[in-house]
Amino acid sequence: MSKITLALLLSSLGWAQDARQIVGEVQSRAKASSQRYEGWLKVVDGRDRVTEKRWVYERIGSAGDSKVVLRFTAPAEVKGVALLIVNHPDRASDQWMWTPALQRDRRIAFQDRSTRFFGTDFSFEDLEERDVSQYDYRVLGEENVDGAACWKIESAPKKTKSSQYSRSLLWVDKARYVFVRIEAYRDSKLVRRIRYSDYEQVQKIWTPMSMEVEDTARKSRTILRTEKLEYNVPVKEEAFTLQALRRDS
Amino acid sequence: MIELRAVSKRFDGKRSVTALDGVDLSIAKGEMVSIVGPSGSGKSTLLNLIGGLDHPSSGDLLIDGASLVHVSDDELTRVRRDKIGFIFQFFNLLPTLSCLENVSLPLHLRGWNRKQINERARELLDLVQLGKRLEHLPEELSGGERQRVAIARALSVYPPILLADEPTGNLDSQTGAEILRLIRDLQTRLNATILIVTHDMGVAESCRRTIRLRDGRIVEDIRREDIRREDIRR
Amino acid sequence: MMLLKLLTWPYVRKHKLRTCLTIAGIALGVVIFVGMRTANDSVLYGFQQTVDRIAGKAQLQVTSSEAGFPEEILEKVQSAVEVDVAVPVIEATAATGLAGQGNLLILGVDMTGDRSLREYDLEEGEQSVIDDPLVFLAQPDSIMVSRDFAVRNGLTTGGKLALDTMDGPKQFTVRGVMKPGGLASAFGGNLAIMDIYATQKVFGRGRMFDRIDISLKLEVSVERGKAALEKILGPGLQVDPPSSRGKQFESISRLFSIGASLNSLFALMIGLFIIYNTFSIAVAQRRSEIGILRSLGASRGQIRGLFVLESAVLGLIGSLVGVVFGLLLARGMAGYLSNFLGEVYGVAQKTESVAADPRLLLFAVLTGILTSIVAAWIPARDASQVDPVKALHKGGYEMFSERENRLRRMLALAFGAAALALLFSGGTAGPRLYGGYLCVLAAAVLLTPSLVRRVVALLRPAMKWLLPVEGSLAADSLVQSPRRTSATVAAVMLAVALVVGLGGVANASYSSIHDWMTAALNPDLFVGSSESLTDRSFRFPASMGEEIRRMEGVEDVQIVRTTRVLYDGAPVMLVATSLESLARRIHPKVVAGDPSTMYRLAGEGKGVIVADNLALLHRLKLGDMLELPTPTGMLRLPVIGITIDYSDQQGAFLLDRTLVVRYWKDDTANLFRVYLQKGVTPAEGKRRILERFGGQRRLFVMTNEQVRTYIMKVTDQWFGLTYMQIFVAVLVAVLGIVNSLTVSITDRRRELGVLQAVGALRRQVRQAIWMEAAGIGLVSIILGLALGGVILFYYLGIIREDLAGLRLEYQYPFNIALLLIPTMLGAALVSSIAPAESAVRASLVEALEYE
Repeated sequence: MSKITLALLLSSLGWAQDARQIVGEVQSRAKASSQRYEGWLKVVDGRDRVTEKRWVYERIGSAGDSKVVLRFTAPAEVKGVALLIVNHPDRASDQWMWTPALQRDRRIAFQDRSTRFFGTDFSFEDLEERDVSQYDYRVLGEENVDGAACWKIESAPKKTKSSQYSRSLLWVDKARYVFVRIEAYRDSKLVRRIRYSDYEQVQKIWTPMSMEVEDTARKSRTILRTEKLEYNVPVKEEAFTLQALRRDS
Repeated sequence: MIELRAVSKRFDGKRSVTALDGVDLSIAKGEMVSIVGPSGSGKSTLLNLIGGLDHPSSGDLLIDGASLVHVSDDELTRVRRDKIGFIFQFFNLLPTLSCLENVSLPLHLRGWNRKQINERARELLDLVQLGKRLEHLPEELSGGERQRVAIARALSVYPPILLADEPTGNLDSQTGAEILRLIRDLQTRLNATILIVTHDMGVAESCRRTIRLRDGRIVEDIRREDIRREDIRR
Repeated sequence: MMLLKLLTWPYVRKHKLRTCLTIAGIALGVVIFVGMRTANDSVLYGFQQTVDRIAGKAQLQVTSSEAGFPEEILEKVQSAVEVDVAVPVIEATAATGLAGQGNLLILGVDMTGDRSLREYDLEEGEQSVIDDPLVFLAQPDSIMVSRDFAVRNGLTTGGKLALDTMDGPKQFTVRGVMKPGGLASAFGGNLAIMDIYATQKVFGRGRMFDRIDISLKLEVSVERGKAALEKILGPGLQVDPPSSRGKQFESISRLFSIGASLNSLFALMIGLFIIYNTFSIAVAQRRSEIGILRSLGASRGQIRGLFVLESAVLGLIGSLVGVVFGLLLARGMAGYLSNFLGEVYGVAQKTESVAADPRLLLFAVLTGILTSIVAAWIPARDASQVDPVKALHKGGYEMFSERENRLRRMLALAFGAAALALLFSGGTAGPRLYGGYLCVLAAAVLLTPSLVRRVVALLRPAMKWLLPVEGSLAADSLVQSPRRTSATVAAVMLAVALVVGLGGVANASYSSIHDWMTAALNPDLFVGSSESLTDRSFRFPASMGEEIRRMEGVEDVQIVRTTRVLYDGAPVMLVATSLESLARRIHPKVVAGDPSTMYRLAGEGKGVIVADNLALLHRLKLGDMLELPTPTGMLRLPVIGITIDYSDQQGAFLLDRTLVVRYWKDDTANLFRVYLQKGVTPAEGKRRILERFGGQRRLFVMTNEQVRTYIMKVTDQWFGLTYMQIFVAVLVAVLGIVNSLTVSITDRRRELGVLQAVGALRRQVRQAIWMEAAGIGLVSIILGLALGGVILFYYLGIIREDLAGLRLEYQYPFNIALLLIPTMLGAALVSSIAPAESAVRASLVEALEYE
């Protein structure tokens, strides 16, 4: 065994605990009892064709135990379509979709999480929030990203079947404890790259106002800009049910 | 009665064969003529043409003054059925019909009524001395008897012309002589014109006239004025 | 082989027509066999292909027969640890309203998950429709079609396509065009994809799915997955690989398959006689040639070998010709069969190409050759026994020896006895009916020579009276050549018998169906969701029935839900309605059970009334416990009544509709039986219903009269095949008679020559030959009509006990018999025209020349 491998092994062992704490700190700093924003989504495909969507996002709860309602507002053909996502700390989320023209909801099946979220470069899984405890973490080192000093952390799902990714690389800003970049791998292949930017402090929480996802295989990008972002807004638990989804549309 | 003018018959096949080559011949009513010649000399062809079984390639052929050339098959048949009776070497009786039925056949074909047919057929079979074998089938008869049935059939309408192709060729000489005598007898009784194709010189010589053919031409036309009855009876 | 070239070829060349007819004899049987079977296989293949293409990567499918099941089942399936992907599917067919396009198979899928199983390969630049199905899902008028379909109908993305829906014709928007191949080629390209929930709405399916397609986790075998899912889902739902769907279909097409086999057997037997005939004659005609060969040192074996080889070559040529024409026939038949199955069974399939199974073709060719050899065996043996010395003698060699006759009669008797013994053996349908059937055929064929002689002897005076010379000559010609005559008669007799048998079945079916319609189909109006009563793609909510009931002029409404459920492996029709109401209205023939109580009990859900044909096919008796799989578990009910009911060829159950609502969770209906008050005409009632619902719902109101006409039309389609066989029978008759007469004329050239020499006119010769043909025709008809009566008995038995369970009454089809007499006599006369002409045109000189 070479010295280099041995060194790597030792270093990763030494940082293991730290990594988990770092990611935990990222989550706890972003913690808010609820959230609301208007999203503006732009998909640029491999041939530079652009499609746009807009939605209103509401969330209650946090850190893997939250519920999200996402309502599309544009383009006109999809206006009123709504998604209800119920995140669980210990397992994959449940997702329902409401289509107003049919006046009915549908469950989006668990096994389809790896499919792209309505033509964006997000997969359904990417939209979920997961509890820190579902992953193993270790710090791989430190790197500068966009001029900010970052930890480079590797995360891997504890239950390999629960995710489409076999591992992810996370870059966490040392100063603000926010994700700056994420790279998700399937086996050893890079599948998605997410860049966060335009950080603003909203109600003391450092929040990226722009997020860009790149699907490396398709060479397409999705840019999500958040507007009118608020934390801890007064939302009611009842608004995050299928009944509410039907009623409010 | 029978008139041939420059009658020729060619068979067109891979090799064109001239069976008759410009034959002129005239046979008067009541004559009994034998036709002799080696195989392939045109004897049977001549008989077939006269019998209206075949058309000549050229020349004219008149039966009772009416031409057989350029007439339809059905008209030919009418001439045949009214004027001509056939006697074949192999009798050509229909094996499933009785003597009476075989003799009745031409009369039925002519649309006679049953009573008339029955009378005539019996009469004819009496004439050939088979009056007692009316219901027998051909296979139950001897060769001579069969030929007599065939003769009775040929005579059914008392045709003015009787054509016989080797009538004794398939019979022993004794029976042959009997048949020949019968034919001769009929000729005198009915005053029929009779043509006999034969190989048998005895048969030939029993006729008043003999025509010898070779290579489709008449090479000899012998008339005998005096034929002794003994010759015929031989 | 050299012998064959030296001796056979010149003979064949000389008898071209006869050789052709002989080849046609074998070809005919092979054509029917290959044609019908290949058509059947092609339809099956087309169905399987549609299933496969639609199934995509699915390894297992969950179904509840045709009935469908509640949506909740999906979550159960998805929760199974063995399952990787499970997606719901609805299949429906809808009329496109486009000229010449027929039905469109609509596949309702859940686009958010379906791509894991099926590949949607869209035209360039449209893939985003799939990637971003948001618009597709948000707009229920979204539809994707195949490029084939789009091109045929000038559709492009964004174009509009009208489809009949529950709410009347509706415009759909093409939001994607699929590239050819794979899924898009299913159902002949007449395929459209819709969102499954939109499909539910458009077709009135409520919250039901037809199917769940499943792919299993990598490490799970199909068997294990199936077992696990069956355990989770219980017995009411079937879990099977897509390939097994063909099996159900096979049970439907089995009728055709068996029919095809029986008929090709018949055709081959007919061919056998034609060949036997030809060879007998050839041997007779070549007797002197055989004699010369024998005297030159040919052994008996060599002579026999020569003829057997000849027959094998003829058989081969005939079979090959048969295969070619059979495949052509299959092309036509497949379309017919495919339409029929689509219409009556609602089986979504399209036959795109003829699927010829090489093994089937090989089998057909071998059968053809074997038949030919078997047919030539006896003549070949006769040939080998030719005595070289006697060969040149002319004589009655055509006659059967007394010994042979006796042997035939004994064998016939044995077969007859065997048939009787089998009949009373009480065994299963197999040996008793199929075996008996074969024995009867064998006996009839063996008896033919003796019967022919007798019947001709009877006919001779009549023929003689009619035309003294021609008549008796013709009759004698028939008797004189017993081999030639009886072989032809046997062939034509079989053809006639076949027609009588099939016609009898058709007759009996029509009359039974008529009786049943009178007893059971008595509502004034039928309100259905499609023009065809059998289409169950569209469904109504039951509440609509109540609305109709409240309408003015309506006295009563029976809400009917029909569907197919799997019983004992067969897709059986389930008819559910209010039995209490039904009992007041209909008076079907009750086979078993107490008519006064059974409807009441069944109405209370305490039992089931089964159709007689179902009872016969599945050996159900009164009191038997019936187990029906339902999505919520097994439904166990006793059989409390058996009635005559022709709702379906596979059989039908009559249940109270409350049970369907309870066990199938299905409150839809596809038919309302409407009784009008006195004084309201059906036309008036129809107008009112159309006025009330026509604008908002897709519905078809049919009067009693129209429904009857429709059922008769379906029945006609069923028997369309029968009519084709009648045509074939006539063809066989013509073929056989032409062959026989051609030979007869050759044989009797001399005789015919003599006839003309002694003064027969052409007309008279012709008449003699016509009489002979008429004689063959008449004898064949007489024997065939008799044999047909027996065959019919067996057919009805087979149908009753093995194929359809229909208790058809035996009734001799006199109408068909009456129709057959002029038809077959006419056919006989027509077939004698050419031989008669050739006879009168033949050279008299040649005819009279000796040998």
